[in-house]
Formats: sequence, structure tokens, C-alpha cells
Amino acid sequence: MRSLSRTLVIVLALALVAPALFIRPAPAAEDVKIALVAPLSGRWARQGQLKKMGADMAIEEINSQGGIKALGGAKLVLREADAGDSVEKAVSAAQRVLTREKISAGIGSWLSSFTLGVTEVAERLQVPWLSLSYADSITERGFKYTFQTSPVSSLQAEQALDLVTELAKKNNRPIKKAGIVGDNTAASMFFYKPLREKLLAAKGIELIVDDVWTPPLADATAIVQKLRSSQPDIVFYGATNFPDSIQVLQKVKEFSVKSPIQGVGAWLVTPEYVKTVGKEVLDNIQTVVASHPMKGQDELVKKFKQRTGEPFMTQDPLCTYAHVWLIKEAVEQAKSADPKAIRDALAKVDISAGPAVSAFYPPRVKFDERGRRVGATPLIVQWQDGEPYTVIPTAVATRPIASHK
Amino acid sequence: MVLAEVVQYVATGLLVGGVYALMSIGLALIFGVMRVVNFAQGDFMMLGMYLTYFYAVSGGVDPLLGALLTIPPFFALGWIVHRSLLARVTGGGDPQRQMDAQLILTLGLSLVITNATTMILSPTPLGIRTDYATQAFALGPVLLNQARSYAFAMALVLAVAVYLFLTRTDLGKALRASADDPEAASYQGIDVRAMHGLAFGIGIALVAAAGGLLAAYHPIEPTVAGNFIVLMFVAVVLGGLGSIPGAFVGGIVIGLVQSLTLLVLPFQLQNTGVFIVFLLVLYLRPQGFFGRRTRAV
Repeated sequence: MRSLSRTLVIVLALALVAPALFIRPAPAAEDVKIALVAPLSGRWARQGQLKKMGADMAIEEINSQGGIKALGGAKLVLREADAGDSVEKAVSAAQRVLTREKISAGIGSWLSSFTLGVTEVAERLQVPWLSLSYADSITERGFKYTFQTSPVSSLQAEQALDLVTELAKKNNRPIKKAGIVGDNTAASMFFYKPLREKLLAAKGIELIVDDVWTPPLADATAIVQKLRSSQPDIVFYGATNFPDSIQVLQKVKEFSVKSPIQGVGAWLVTPEYVKTVGKEVLDNIQTVVASHPMKGQDELVKKFKQRTGEPFMTQDPLCTYAHVWLIKEAVEQAKSADPKAIRDALAKVDISAGPAVSAFYPPRVKFDERGRRVGATPLIVQWQDGEPYTVIPTAVATRPIASHK
Repeated sequence: MVLAEVVQYVATGLLVGGVYALMSIGLALIFGVMRVVNFAQGDFMMLGMYLTYFYAVSGGVDPLLGALLTIPPFFALGWIVHRSLLARVTGGGDPQRQMDAQLILTLGLSLVITNATTMILSPTPLGIRTDYATQAFALGPVLLNQARSYAFAMALVLAVAVYLFLTRTDLGKALRASADDPEAASYQGIDVRAMHGLAFGIGIALVAAAGGLLAAYHPIEPTVAGNFIVLMFVAVVLGGLGSIPGAFVGGIVIGLVQSLTLLVLPFQLQNTGVFIVFLLVLYLRPQGFFGRRTRAV
């Protein structure tokens, strides 16, 4: 009797458990992997670090909001690769990260010279690639998988020159003499080229200083001495390597150079500048960038600052944040994590609202046949009281532009 | 080109060269005594910059004083690195194999230090803000940057101190004896291994002090060594391998050539002048400026 009841208990228990043995939970949606190839070591590592902060923030937001809905809530996962401090290392990093596992799309690699190399790998392996780099040549090679969200360098040069000449006229200080000072990285070179070849001459401006170097710069005395003795009415400034730029700015203060400085890129608005040279050196220096927090983005900036402890948000995290969201939108539209399908979705995408356009002016993402964002317009950012603010276009400016003292 | 401008270029070159000179002395000492080519020399300089930074932010220590305060801890660090790592691949055995092992060891050490610093302290550049970094002494139309002038003066003092130590003290003489003939020195009761440790400690302390001086006006980041290590080697070879006065002169020459090159060549070719002079010296005087007479320290 006792053994019978024991058998009964076992049978009942099995009856209860058995269904669970045959019913499997629905398979979890496979993660969608995004590559971020950016300099995480070497002289541009800070920019890579900032890019990663932006990517991490976007991924956390997307995953906490349910992931990719078209793929059953698939999560986005970031695979970062260190582009280091040379084109060779960047290319090798891209090769490694794109061949190790299935990557749906990629982002990178900050410095245009790196992006030129990395996008060749992405093109060969047919992985769609989003870049904030400026060099014109990135989207002049007929590549199908490269998408450039920033206005290209030559366009930035044209618009920056228009802006500074207009401002100078308003302030009764017409520009007659200009200087070009900076390194020979790709984005800077594409900015200087149209200035030298046609733009300055077309406005009757004489180029009186033209000093370009290969980073690192040994000493800035000779350059700044030339600026002091020739006193150009504007200096177009493209020193992407932080120590080089610090040397130049320290010398500008030491030699009391009064020429207004018009930077070329977002490298000139990182928080380290305030700590190293002080706000009194920086105030009124302005730079042309592809992206910077604009009017109405206070919440986004506040969230970024709380997350990272950074004193302000700049182009690099903002653009990468938007790039991750843009990839998410493309995956939703493609309903697939397949790189080719995502590429096709990116080629057709036309978005005018939401986080995917948050970094861009005007706020619309549509790519032309070359992979350039249609209508991309640069912003002018100016240091004021130790913080960089968007000052042009006025429609999205967070502060009015301050005139040069 | 007016004369004042040429004088400005010469003055700038001298000031820049002063710190190159101090950086190079340590490397020359290590090579002169131990015959070790230390690829990690620039990384110890970078660590010296960070220590000076921490002195400045935590204790408000001026970087010029901080540079001096890096000397004791870096001497100890150099001695420990020698004892724990370099001593295993120096001091006897097949010279070729030892040279290979030393190269691999110091190159590996360089990679480990750079990457560990990037991981621990982050790649974010740091800087010490000093008033004198952006101020100049005006000698008529010629401006001498104050930070570089102080750094030059301190580099000169430290170089003279090392020279006097090597030539006027018993310990210095023992060090030179170990460099000239380790076997004969050991017969005289000199502990050659200890002398190697001493040389490595001093060499590392000197380059860390140079880093401290550099930190007064140059941003600090884990990869900063890459900007200077090649110039250090060029200075040591120019001066004559292993020669302390040679390395000092080599450093000054590099600074001068870098600056004066800009009188005739565009900025992109700033270091081209240095390497042209380097090749010329190797061709005309392969032993370097001081190579023959003061090959050993």
C-alpha cells in the first residue's frame, strides 16, 4: 500500500513536470552587432573615448526601450575595435572586427585619414558604414556601403568663409589677409584646398601665412611668430592633435597674437582645452563643426553629462549617438540584421524626427547616391565663458555669437 | 629675414634642445654603462610627467619643483626594474643573444607601460596650467618662453650635476670603470651588477625629471613618448653612443636644427633637417661628436 502511494506520487509529479520538458521557451532574438572602429589608444584616443560614450548611451536607450521591434526585441550590441594612431592600425582593427563575427553595420573612425582606410575594408566585406569624418574623398570613390552624415570639408570651408567675411563686414573689420595653420590630416587638407585654390582669391583675400605640418609639432614658436609679424585678419586653424594645438594656443597668448581664430573641426571644443590653456585664451575662438548640441536638446545633454561626468557634450558623442539610432531605424526598416539589407535601407532612409536625426542640421537624414547626407550644413561653435556653444545658424543657436575683441 | 627673427629661431632652438638634452643623457648613461638600448626610456619620461601632474593637483607643487621630486621615486623604480627584469638579460653570456633579449624586453616594457597607463589613467590628455607657460622674457624683439627657459636652466643644472657625479666622486668613477671594462672593474672589487642598477636608476630618474620639466608646458597623455623617443636616440647617436656630454650636445643640436630648418624648409619638413644632419654626421664622423675620446662615460 505504501509503495503504491509512492508510485502514485511519482507518476503525478512526472505528469506535472512532463509538459515543461517538451515546451521550450520562444528563442531569444539574436543580438544585432554594431562595430565601432575608433582610436581608443594613441594621440586621438580621447575622441574615440567620446564616440564610445555616445554609442553606449544610444544602445542603452534602445535596449531599455525593447530593442529592435522588427526582430522580436533583438538587442543591439557594440563591438569596439581600437583604430590606434595610424591608418594601418585602423584598417587592421576594422578587418579584425568585421571578420571575427557577423557585424550588421559599423561606425567610425573619427579621423578622415582612418575613415578612408576603414571604409575600404567595410566596402570589400559589404558592411554598411556610417561616418562623421569630413574629407570629401570619403564619398568620392563610388562606394556603396559608406554613408557620410557630416558636411564635407570643402563645403565647410566655403560656408565658414562666407560666415566670417559677413561677420567681419558687420563689425567694420573687412578681411583682407588670411592665414592657414594646421596639420596635414585629410579633413584639414580638404578644408584648406578650396581656400587656397579659389575661395580666398574670389573674395579678394590674400593668403599670407600657410604653415602645415605632420603631427606631432616640435615647437609652435616659428608659426606663431609669423602670425604675430604678419597679423592676418583671420586664421583658419586645423591642429587636430591636442598637444600640437595646445602649443599653438599657448604661443598665441604668449606672443599676444590678436588675429581671430576660425577652427576646422570639433577637436577644438573638447573639455581638456579649458583645463590646459584656460578659458581666457579660448573665449571667442570659434570652429566649424558637423554637429554640436543645438537649441532644444537640453535634456539629451543633461542625460549625457549625468551619465559620463563630462562637463558638456560635443560632436563626437552626439554624432555617434545618432549613428547608432540611425542603424536601429535601418534595421527596423530592413526587418533584418543582414548587412546588405541594412545598407539598402540606409540608402532609402528619409527621417526627419527622433534621436536618429538629433545630431544633424538640418534635422533630416536622407543620403544621395554617393552616400552624402542631403542638405548637410555645418554649425559654428564658439567658446564663451569656458564652454562651447552653437552660435550659427541662429535658428538652432544656444547663444548669440560674440564679436572678437 | 631680419636678424631679430634669426636670433629668435636660434633662441627657440636652444630652449627646445635643452630638454631634449636632458632626456637624452639618461639614455646615453644607460647605454654607456650597460650597453642596453632602452626603448622604454620615453615611457618612463611619460610616467614622470604624470607624477609631476599628480604632485601639482594633489599638493599644489609647481612642476619645476615636481620635476626634481620625481628623481627619488624614479631612481628606485629604475633600480627595481633593473633588479627584477634587466639583470636577467645583462652581465654575461652570448652578447648577441643578450642584445636580442634586451631589445625585446625594453620594447615589451614600453608597450606594457603605455597600454597600462591608457587603461588605468585613461587616454584623456591632462595639463598643468602655469602662468609662465604662456609668458615670455622679452630681450628686445626676441621672446624667450618662461617655462622653456626655466626648464632649460634646470636641465643644464642636472646635466652638470650628473657630469660632476661621474667625474668627481668615487661612486661615479666606479660607474665609469664598470662601463670601460666590467671584468677589470670586478677584479678591483667593484660590484658591476650594482653599478648597472645605479646607472639604470639614474638614467630613469633623469628622463623622469625631463618629463617633469616638459609637463610645465606640454600636455600629458599616455602616448606622449612617441613624440620624443626617436629624437632621443638621434641625440645619443649624434653625440657618440654612450657619451654624456655628447648626448647633451646632440640634444641641443637637434633643437637648433629643428628650429633653423624652418628658415629654409616648410613646416611639414621640420624634422627633415634633423635627419639630414644625422645622416651627414654618420657619414662624416660615424662615431658621433664625442665618440672617439669619450666613448665611455
